[in-house]
Amino acid sequence: MVVLARGRAGATARHWRESFMYRFVTSWPFLLPTIGFFVGWQLYPILRVLWMSFTDYYYLRVGEPVHWVGLANYREALADPLVRQGLLRALAFTAIFLPGMIVIPLVAAILIDRVRNQRLATIYRVILLIPAMIPGPLIFVLWKWMYSYTIGPINYVLVDVLHLFTIYNAPQWLGDPDLTFLAVAVMEWWWGLGYHTIFFLAGLATIPRELFEAARVDGASEWRMFWSVTLPRLRPILLVLVVLRFGTAMAVIDEYLIFGGFNRALPTYTWTVYMWDLAFQLGDWRQSYAAAVGWIGALLMLIVVAFLFWLFRPRD
Amino acid sequence: MSNGIGDSQYWLLEERLQRRELLKRLTTLGILGSSFGVLLSACRGGTTPAPTAGQPSASEATPGGGERPFTPTFYQWIINLHPDIEKGVNPDFAKKHPIDSKIAPVQGFGIERFVAEARDKNSTWDVYIGMTPFVEMAQLVEAEVIEPWDPYLPDDVKKDIIPSILEEATYQGKIYNWPFLLDVIVLGWHAGIVEKAGLDPEKPPKTWDELLAAARKVKDSGAAPFGCTFDAHGWRSLAPITHSISTDVYTEDGLFDFTSDAAVQALELMKQMMELANPDVLNPGKSDAGVNDTPDEAAFGAEQVAYYVKYQNAPIRFAGVWRDPSKLRLGALPSGGEGATVFWNTGAALFKWGKNKEIAAEYMKALTYDERIWAHSIGGGREAVGQLSVYQSLWDAWRQNPPKWMQDWAFFIVDQLKVSKAIRTHKFGLTQFVIGQPHWEKYFKGEVRDPRQALQEARDAVLAELKKQGG
Repeated sequence: MVVLARGRAGATARHWRESFMYRFVTSWPFLLPTIGFFVGWQLYPILRVLWMSFTDYYYLRVGEPVHWVGLANYREALADPLVRQGLLRALAFTAIFLPGMIVIPLVAAILIDRVRNQRLATIYRVILLIPAMIPGPLIFVLWKWMYSYTIGPINYVLVDVLHLFTIYNAPQWLGDPDLTFLAVAVMEWWWGLGYHTIFFLAGLATIPRELFEAARVDGASEWRMFWSVTLPRLRPILLVLVVLRFGTAMAVIDEYLIFGGFNRALPTYTWTVYMWDLAFQLGDWRQSYAAAVGWIGALLMLIVVAFLFWLFRPRD
Repeated sequence: MSNGIGDSQYWLLEERLQRRELLKRLTTLGILGSSFGVLLSACRGGTTPAPTAGQPSASEATPGGGERPFTPTFYQWIINLHPDIEKGVNPDFAKKHPIDSKIAPVQGFGIERFVAEARDKNSTWDVYIGMTPFVEMAQLVEAEVIEPWDPYLPDDVKKDIIPSILEEATYQGKIYNWPFLLDVIVLGWHAGIVEKAGLDPEKPPKTWDELLAAARKVKDSGAAPFGCTFDAHGWRSLAPITHSISTDVYTEDGLFDFTSDAAVQALELMKQMMELANPDVLNPGKSDAGVNDTPDEAAFGAEQVAYYVKYQNAPIRFAGVWRDPSKLRLGALPSGGEGATVFWNTGAALFKWGKNKEIAAEYMKALTYDERIWAHSIGGGREAVGQLSVYQSLWDAWRQNPPKWMQDWAFFIVDQLKVSKAIRTHKFGLTQFVIGQPHWEKYFKGEVRDPRQALQEARDAVLAELKKQGG
């Protein structure tokens, strides 16, 4: 009897352990902080902004009812020349920035990867990483000084040392629309070089050395090994970096605000700055319209990201 | 299928979570939960709930008193440029009332935090010292962030404020701005460069034509690379130069009339000045979203330019880095007819949901009348910033019996207030110039040949934005 009772109790306990409730009680409570964070920090703001984009919500209008306006904000935004111009400007910057942000660290990583002296390789890595340790705003202010027309060291070298220009025709790095994006991109390349190089070094470390040795035995040149061994093996890293940097390049705002402010004539007045202007500067802060502008930009970026995933799809 | 975990370990992970372990995890969760509770209550203002709509704030319930020390918050630059606030005024005031002075989160004139708190009917601070009426006062009033000073401003102080400044501080019939630091757009010049060009450094240009001729002579003579400069932001150049021609340049709804004859003339003058100015004069500044640390300051500080149109504290501060700062001269803006200019004050706003409101008024009186501030601002040598007092009684006393630190230029500048006007307070008071600037700059760059057309485009852009904002 006792044995039978123990057997039943054991079966009940096993049944309880296998039940949905048991799994629920022993798993889900521990996920709550993460779920709370995800919902409160990510999902809610996204849904809130989505809702706002369909209303006539003005942040500064206290106590006024908010009305549902359907797609009116989107229609207006699509016809707004500042939105179109802002998106085109962001694309232009991305087109300048992205290739350099991939190619320069890739070359640096390949060169460092070939350094056989470990101490020297570490020194190179540390030097490259120094800019990445400096906070963004400090970088922007530093480079803004570097690019200063009258007192910047770059123009000092060009005018007073090399005599390539005079004080009347020296380059206006942040004032000339043709130079601004290049100037911002150079700063970003310098800032991100170490960080991105480390990504590529991690990728290079995963490529078996035997592949290179076999290729050498087969008489492959260095260039051929790069195209046929290194690059295909780095495709996952490239995908991550291209997608990440595409997103950040299209959505740059801090740099533009510090370099160009709210001057609509400058290339730095992109759709992100316009969105900020609408939401926190102009009139009654029409955040509903700013939200629609944001969603249009975000959707376009998602389409491009989908294309990038297709482009970098595994082909083995 | 091997997953790197041994069978026994897998069994442990997957199936047999021990009761003790379960209890331990639940306890941890409980601690986390209570931590989140504390965090949430802290975010909502600690154990004291914020007053709900229609419920009086603590200070309203107990006039003059509060549950926290008096908490003013300053725009960072005010503390930086006027060190006597922290060194002298605040410690003295603390002998009477506890004070907890803060730096305001308002880089680039951003008022988001103030508005966000007001929407929750709450305020971390009692008074904000850094509000310029035409920049953000209308928005702060309309969003119910601030309330009028009228019930707290003593009559003697109100009567003492220079009338044109009191008018600037008033919006919709109420005083929302306790004026403090006065800035006036003036003409500054480098006496050394002017003299080197063969001009009399003690005889400033009285008209715009005279200024242009003098600036051209400076450049042509090689005394300096550039003859004159200005700050390209419209409220610091287009509006003051327009005011020097006429102050009747505001529409019925309070916007700057870009298409007025005076504005058109001002734009033509600016284009002529540009030809004699540092080539980067239109570029944005280095801080505060391009508004401050502008290229004109760098050029004037580097002694590359003779004449400089801007509010007085800019030439004073940047002459401080010259080899010989005593070469700085300041005078009235050249006249284009009316002989006026633009001025503004940076003063204090009273938070509607703040506390200690009567103490705030007491503090503002102590701060704004404190002579140490003015001695440093006017007579502080290389550290002087040149911002001036807004009180007639102080100027009368200083005129009768000038203190040792007083400078003659201070009287010239204050005298300009008799004819000058501030830019009208409006929700687009500042942004109308930001929106319009790219359009009138087309005239500077030769993209539009007619200044009136460029300014019409500027006006159209402002009206379009106003319409977009439902105005």
